[in-house]
Amino acid sequence: MKKLLIIAVALLIGVAANPLYAQKKENKVVCFKSNMDCSNCEQTISDYLKFEKGVKDLKVDHVTNTIKVEYNDGKNTDEGLAKAIEKKGYKAEKISTGEYEKIVAASAHGHEHGSEQHKDRTQN
Amino acid sequence: MKRFYFLLLIFLPVFSFADEIKGFVFTREEGGKQPLPGVNIYWEGTTQGTASVDDGSFSIQQKDGQHMLVFSFVGYKQQVVRVESAGALEVLMEPNVELEEVTVIRKDRGTYLSVINPIQTESISGAELHKAACCNLAESFETNPSVDMSYSDAVTGAKQIKLLGLDGTYSLMQVENMPNLRGLATTFGLTYIPGPWMESIQVSKGAASVLNGYDAIAGQINAELKKPDSNEKLFLNAFGNMEGRYEFNANGNIRLIGDTLTTGIFVHANQLMTKNDHNHDGFLDIPMSQMYQISNRWKYNNHKGLMLQTGFTYLQEDRLGGQTGVDWDMTPSLSNPYGVSIDTKRLEAFLKGGYVTPNGKNAIAWLSNFSRHETESFYGLTDYIGDETRLFASAIYTKYMGPLEEHTLNVGGSYIYDDFNEQLYSDAIQRTEKVPGLFAEYTFKPNENLTLMTGIRTDFHNIFGTFVTPRMHFRYRFAEHFTVRANAGKGYRTANVLSENTYLLASSRALQYTDDVMQEEAWNYGFSLIQNYMLLGRDLTLNAEFFRTDFKTQLVIDRETSADYVILAPLDGTSYANSLQFDVRWQPIERLDLLLAYRVNDIKQTVGGELRDKPLQSDYKGLINLNYTTNLKKWMFDYTLQFNGGGRIPYVYEEWMSRVDMSSDFGHFKPYTIMNAQVTKYFRYWSIYLGAENLTDFTQANPVAGADNPFGSDFDATNIWGPVMGRKVYLGLRFNLNYE
Repeated sequence: MKKLLIIAVALLIGVAANPLYAQKKENKVVCFKSNMDCSNCEQTISDYLKFEKGVKDLKVDHVTNTIKVEYNDGKNTDEGLAKAIEKKGYKAEKISTGEYEKIVAASAHGHEHGSEQHKDRTQN
Repeated sequence: MKRFYFLLLIFLPVFSFADEIKGFVFTREEGGKQPLPGVNIYWEGTTQGTASVDDGSFSIQQKDGQHMLVFSFVGYKQQVVRVESAGALEVLMEPNVELEEVTVIRKDRGTYLSVINPIQTESISGAELHKAACCNLAESFETNPSVDMSYSDAVTGAKQIKLLGLDGTYSLMQVENMPNLRGLATTFGLTYIPGPWMESIQVSKGAASVLNGYDAIAGQINAELKKPDSNEKLFLNAFGNMEGRYEFNANGNIRLIGDTLTTGIFVHANQLMTKNDHNHDGFLDIPMSQMYQISNRWKYNNHKGLMLQTGFTYLQEDRLGGQTGVDWDMTPSLSNPYGVSIDTKRLEAFLKGGYVTPNGKNAIAWLSNFSRHETESFYGLTDYIGDETRLFASAIYTKYMGPLEEHTLNVGGSYIYDDFNEQLYSDAIQRTEKVPGLFAEYTFKPNENLTLMTGIRTDFHNIFGTFVTPRMHFRYRFAEHFTVRANAGKGYRTANVLSENTYLLASSRALQYTDDVMQEEAWNYGFSLIQNYMLLGRDLTLNAEFFRTDFKTQLVIDRETSADYVILAPLDGTSYANSLQFDVRWQPIERLDLLLAYRVNDIKQTVGGELRDKPLQSDYKGLINLNYTTNLKKWMFDYTLQFNGGGRIPYVYEEWMSRVDMSSDFGHFKPYTIMNAQVTKYFRYWSIYLGAENLTDFTQANPVAGADNPFGSDFDATNIWGPVMGRKVYLGLRFNLNYE
């Protein structure tokens, strides 16, 4: 009984410490353009990608159709992540961080002038 | 104190800036998406809001720490969307077919206090249910400040809850907005709903809406089960703890015709075959048990305003408790060890539906359920056998009026049929309740800041005659950070004298009762103040509330007048319950949720001609709950600390006179602390959780009085005020596959 408890406590501590150590390494950022239609697709990709090896942070947005992934360089590659997105049935066209920022900024700007963009998307 | 300031400095964010969230709100109409103007959009817990314009679009500023965006429109289900970063949202509003249902799209936040509902309501979402991974409805309240959970006695394993410090029977228990788990199911009913079947729980305090019935004196607890049209394709769960309890759950949804016709199948099994006697008193600390449950439900939704749901559940449970040496197959006799055996079979079915007219101004709803419950049990030499057949039906018509739909009228009727057959000692009891009733409720909501709800119902009871139930609720957000609520209302309840108190049979004292049924009547008044601020860039919620319940008639359990009997008799004198609660919710650092709560109970009852503190009731409760998730929610950590105040242990005067020990704490129990912790690790399809309940291993000393001679006059296993089980370490596994 006691032994089991000690193991349990050790597990708890080990478990708690693990994520703290893991974040110290250099991370790499990769951006993609995709073809999601709805917030459900965004959820699907997000839930799938976050458990790809090495993924540390994630921004998936279905309105601008962009995906930004921050990951541990040694554990995964841009291609590996692109494959994961394609596996779920979505496009993964690699774009530069600069292009990504531009698309996101443009989208935010576009919305101030009405909902034309929405109408386009709802007709698709 | 110095350290505290230091912590504050650490947590102080360097700067905070606002983003703009934009989006588009629409509804499904005539087969296509239609923009929905006039929808109220605001950050949860604040007054910062906007409304969608003609083409359904909107934009709103987002400050640091603001994540939960609420979409609210009369006649449509309220949507709460978690917003992580700037970007456009697309939100689908669905017509509100099921009245009063609160829909949480993404259940990321555990418990939250509604500022919109005129009734003080706490919603416990799926995320919160993950915090206490074991095992059923009874155990879902461990992290909740308002609901107390305790063992009823030391032999049957029955758990009871208290709301506002009042026994669970004074709260209306609902499953999917229909009354359930009452009568014969009162004692063990809370364990009949497996955790993995539940989607969310709503706890409302004070008299509830008259649409739900005349019960609900202290409040209302509603468990929403998982819906067949949800995303979940397959869910599997296995659980085991060190006491030898194993659980298995499997459920899956099948989409027969897209999301129009769907069905869900739910299976549950649990078993405890180990004899645990940690305090070596010769009695099992928890009974050995076995339970099987199967459920199948169907949902039809034509997405044009018509929705129908139906289903059934079958349950079978055996509990075997008592002395460790007992053989439950032998005829109970004085020469055999003391045994308790409870066999239960239960069948439930329900049918509910709703229709909203295309203009969204009128709606009708139908709610009905049926249950058949059979129990065969013995407690030592005492047999108790009972069966119950219950039927409930309710029809509600809703009309929204005024250009801004500021008036809502609900009218309808309900019918309850409840038939009991019970056998105890030499008494055979047969009784049938038939209660038709009519009700009307009017809600005035001129703007987002004010809601006034008044309701009245009349019920025509075949035993207790005609009675009227008036209720009123008021909510007003009088300033940016302040919301007040007030409510007053009457409640009635049928007290089933035996079936609700069977746990009292685990005592040498026989039950003495003159009536097998009586009606309880009480007034409830409540007042609460919620304040919402931003502290260091994150939402801070402060809540203060006071509730008072005044009983006009009540069934009183008197364990103090007679040494030979437990007397179940109508109240003669005063009985009231005051509950004062404060709670604070905040995120001191990102993704760390903190809840601090403190409640004072003042519950007094006239027992044996004297107004005294209600026995076995802690005089206060404190709660600290911490929940931390790592980025992307791959890990979740939970920690709960409960402080329970002391209270009174009932005793008979002669007992007190003849006692040998002169210790001053006779008749009282001291404050005690309970600690729970859990870690969950999420994988793509799996999650694994490891936790411990009651980490400090605190248990009530001598839960079974007279344990060495269970057929003697001192035997009593019902004076329970604290945990009868010590530390429980558990491990569980979940598998989750969703529709995409």
